[in-house]
Parts: sequence; C-alpha cells; structure tokens
Amino acid sequence: MSKILEINNLHVEFDTYGGTVHAVRGLDLAVQKGETLAVVGESGCGKSVSFQALMGLLPMPPGRISSGSANFQGNDLLKLKESEMRPLRGSQIAMIFQDPMSSLNPTKKIGDQIAESLIIHKGMSKRDALKESLKLLELTRIGEAPKRLNQYPFEFSGGMLQRVMIAMAIACKPQLLIADEPTTALDVTIQDQILALLKDLQKEYEMSLILITHDLGVVARMADQVAVMYAGQIVENGSVDDIFYRSAHPYTLGLKQALPNSQEGKSAQLIPIDGSPPDLFSPPKACAYAARCPMARKVCLEKAPLIFEASSKHLSRCWLQHPQAPSHPELFCGERK
Amino acid sequence: MKKYLLKRLWHGIITILFISTATFFAMHMVPGDPLSSEKAITPETRKALEAEYGIDKPLFIQYGIFLKKTFIHGDLGFSYTNRNTKVNEIIANHFPVSAKLGLLAIFFATSGAIMWGAIAAKYRNKLPDYTSMVLVILFISVPSFVFASGAQLLIVKLNAATGWNLPYRGTDSFVSQIVPAMILGLGTMAFLTRIMRSSLLEVIHSDYIRTARAKGLSPKQIFFSHELRNAVLPVITIIGPAIAAITTGSFVIETIFTIPGLGKFFVQAVQQNDYTVIMGTTVFYGSFLVLTVLAVDIVYGFIDPRIQVEK
Repeated sequence: MSKILEINNLHVEFDTYGGTVHAVRGLDLAVQKGETLAVVGESGCGKSVSFQALMGLLPMPPGRISSGSANFQGNDLLKLKESEMRPLRGSQIAMIFQDPMSSLNPTKKIGDQIAESLIIHKGMSKRDALKESLKLLELTRIGEAPKRLNQYPFEFSGGMLQRVMIAMAIACKPQLLIADEPTTALDVTIQDQILALLKDLQKEYEMSLILITHDLGVVARMADQVAVMYAGQIVENGSVDDIFYRSAHPYTLGLKQALPNSQEGKSAQLIPIDGSPPDLFSPPKACAYAARCPMARKVCLEKAPLIFEASSKHLSRCWLQHPQAPSHPELFCGERK
Repeated sequence: MKKYLLKRLWHGIITILFISTATFFAMHMVPGDPLSSEKAITPETRKALEAEYGIDKPLFIQYGIFLKKTFIHGDLGFSYTNRNTKVNEIIANHFPVSAKLGLLAIFFATSGAIMWGAIAAKYRNKLPDYTSMVLVILFISVPSFVFASGAQLLIVKLNAATGWNLPYRGTDSFVSQIVPAMILGLGTMAFLTRIMRSSLLEVIHSDYIRTARAKGLSPKQIFFSHELRNAVLPVITIIGPAIAAITTGSFVIETIFTIPGLGKFFVQAVQQNDYTVIMGTTVFYGSFLVLTVLAVDIVYGFIDPRIQVEK
C-alpha cells in the first residue's frame, strides 16, 4: 500500500486579541491508499482545524500555518498557491462538513449545487452535469431523485442533506475524502445509514477516507487506522485493534472508560476524565495530558514525552512507553515486558 | 398567490385610507387656507371662491366629498394655486419626468451599493473599507443641495475650461440626467452600501461558502453564484420604499437642475395650503409606496425560495 497523504509537523496558530492560540502543535499523520483513518479527540483538540488548514479553508488571518508539510501525490499542499490548490479541491480531495443544514446554499437548487463541481473540474456542460448529478443522487440512495434535483435545501431533512453533501463530494471521484464529523448533527438511525453509505462508496470509488469524529462507536465501525488527538497533538496512532485492544496511551484508556458500556447486561459505571484540556494560549511544555493523567509521573510534568513505538506501527506519545518506566496493568506497553 | 395578492391589496387600500384621513385633518388644522395667500380680496370675492371650492362646508362634509371624489371617481380636483389645472394632470405630466430620473438614480444607487459594499466587505478592516465607510457617512449626512450645486459648478467650470458643452440643467437629453440622477441616488447608495457590506460579511462567514470553497470554486464564482443572491435580500427590502421616495421627485435636485418633475409640488402645495394638491400627491405617493412594498415582497420569493408567498 502506498501513502496518499503524509502530514509532517503541522503547526496551526490563531492570532487573537488575547494572544496566540496554538491549536495544532506538530501533527504527524499518514493515510494509505484506500483505507480509512479516523481522527478522534474531544472538542477543541484541533481535529477540524488541522484538516481545514490542509484544504486551505481556514480563514487566514486569524489562522496561520506556522510550519509543516503535507505531501499529497507529490505536492506539498501547504506550499501550493491558492490558484494551484483550487483544481485539487473538490476534485482530488473533497470534504464533507458537520452540519448539512447550514453547509448548503439555501437559495440554490440541489442539482445546481452538485453540478457545479462537475462543471468547473470536468468541464461538463450544464446539461451533462445535471444528468451526472442525478446519477450521483441515486447513488446516495435518495428517494425520488429526479424530483429532488430541482428542490432547495429547505425542502430536505438533515439526513438527506448529508446525502446531498456526499453526492457533491464524490462527484469528481476524489482520491481522498475528508469527512468532518459527518454524522454528529444527525440522529442515530440516520447516522447508521450515512456511515454505511460512506463505507460502500469508499469501496466502490477506492477512496481514502479521513473520518474526523469524537464518537468511538463510529471509529470502531469504520476505521482501519486511528489517530487519537489531544491538545493539538497526536497522542496515539495505530490500527483500530491497537487502539481498542492494546491502548498504549492513558488518554485513550480514559476515553474508553468514559464510554457507556451496556454489554454483559449489567450497567458499568462511567468514569469521566477529570479536569479539562490545557489552555492552548500557553500550552504546557511537558506532556499536555499529565495534569489529568492518573498514571502521571514526575517526568511527565517536566519533559515533553517522546514518541515511542509500542508495537510495530503503533505509536504513543507517553513516557510510560519508555523502557525504564514502570508497567501498568491496563496500559499496553508492547513486547518489551 | 391570487388570494395573497387580493389580501395585500385590500390591506393597501386600508393603509391609504388611513394616510389620507390623517393628512386631511392635519392639513385643515394648519392655520390659514388656500385663499389666505391671495392678495387683498374682498369678503364677497372670498365667499364666492369658498363656495366655488366647497371649503365653506363643514369639515366632515368636505371629508366625505373628498373621499367620494378621490376613491370612487378617481378625481383629485382642481389645484388652488394653478387655476384650471387638475391635480390628476399635474401628476400625469410631472410624474413621468421624476420617475425617469428616479429610476436612473435607483439604478446608480443599487449597482453602486452592491459593488461598493462587496469591495468594503472583501477588504474588511483595510483601507478600502475604511475609505468607503467614511464616504458613506459623508454622503448620508451632507445635504444633497451641496453635492447638486457643487456638481453643477464643476460642470460649468469644466465647460469653460475645455470648451465642451456638457449639459448642466434641464431634461433635453439623456446625458443631462446622468449627473442629477447620480446625486439623487447618492444618499440611498451610501445607505445601501452599508447594508450590503454587513449582509455580505455575514454570508461570507457562513458554512455554505466554506462548502463552495471546498468544491474548488474561485472567489469570483463564489461571489456571483453563492454570495450575491444571499446577501442582496436586505438591500431589496430597502429598495422598495426607496423607489417610491425617489421616483416621486426631489424638490432640491429638480429645482437646482431645473427639471420639471413632481418634487416641487409636494413642497409648494404645503407652503401655499393648496389642499387638493396636498391630498392628491399624498394619496398618489401612498398608493405608490404600498405597491412597491408589495412588489418587493413578491420579488423576495424569487430571490429566496424559502420566502415563497402563500400559494
């Protein structure tokens, strides 16, 4: 498998009146061709910001990409000029957003909105583009697609609008689809349908999918690889089995324990993670999670943790992975013990 | 749609009745009457004239006669100051002149405001934005006669300096109306610019514009196919009443540029207590306003499908 996208050391900052917010602090990620990478983390950890920055969709100013590179098929996305980036957006890399209700133009017909990217990227005539849009709508399993083409967003439900967004995103058969919390604004049954749709389309189009979410249920269902983000950094990165069965970072453990678990017929107690995420105006020099970490040691509060390989291709940014660190029964510490 | 239109027209008629009733009694409360500006008339002549115009009758009778003549026969009566001229004729002769100038002014105001507001929004908090906002305040607060006479002076000086023969007054040609129309629309343009700017700023930061950018559209494509239509709605709201106000003529602009429009009649009639002209122009202006506001509400539905009027 080859990498389709490789992000190295991405830093994103926001200049505000109160100071500089260090929203993303050295993000390293890679997405393989045809696979699904889930990026998980709580609100404000920099998941959306990272990928909006990547797409050049971040309002700048106040946003600023202070360093980093993002290699997509030989191009560094962060170095491309706006005019060079535009042909890639929507055709090679497409994006789906969280709230489908507000993400579509209220005064433009659905058909025209889907046709738009076909017209600009593929040079189709408006008639052909509308014909193609109809096919795309049918592909997303919307009922009465021909009628729907001529309707406006306000005549649709949230789930249907998200299908429209998906139809729009896959119109030009992109290599990479970034879905930014695609199901957060939808109710659970619709959520399930949308995820199934995404999975099917991904297989059919051989797309790579980056799924930004804070829902571990969605991750378990969809992902091949998982990156857990905290305070603007990836704290653990590995295969979906690594993350769920061999968690190598205390934050991942914390997230798992905070998950409602009604299996085995008995109600287990939810254990929330104490405290709140660090202030990103002045992020801690040492481990960002140390202040909330039940396993924190002295070194965690003093020095930024290195990235350790807990097992092959399973990375953790935690001092407890250090060969000399004591072991914890819950924490996976690789083959060394 | 038909039902909606009938309902709105019915409301319009009630509105106009209110306007004319209020104006009628307010007008009669003002000291003096149309005959008081006449020079030295004998009591007998005055009596005869009063009888001729019917202003010797009790006020409510006069009101009844006014209602009947105006709303049933569509007859606004004879002017007091321009003898032998019917108010209907005054409006028929002078309104088209004002309307032509006014529509041109509205065209300048709207196109200018959309363009200018877009520039200000695009360069928000930068020099073009600050410059235009200062100019906007200037154009709103400085009275139009300053700009009108200034522009006229400029044309005259320019003619003298270059030997050109640019028109600076009258309505002989289309060209002669351009400068007056621009100045007539200046205040409206300034106001609309502000509205366009803030409405566009709101649209620019909305999610669907982010979607459009994610699709790979260029800023120009985004502006014309996504931003403009969504941002223009508040501008349309203001244009309705503005059309009614501007196309019925401006006293100042029409006087300075010697344009025989309707504007002066609004002012002169009040000065001279010309009852029929006051009532005539008021009813006309009121009806026109009601119609433009209705037209705006219908146009809304075409611009934003969410605001379709009841079918």
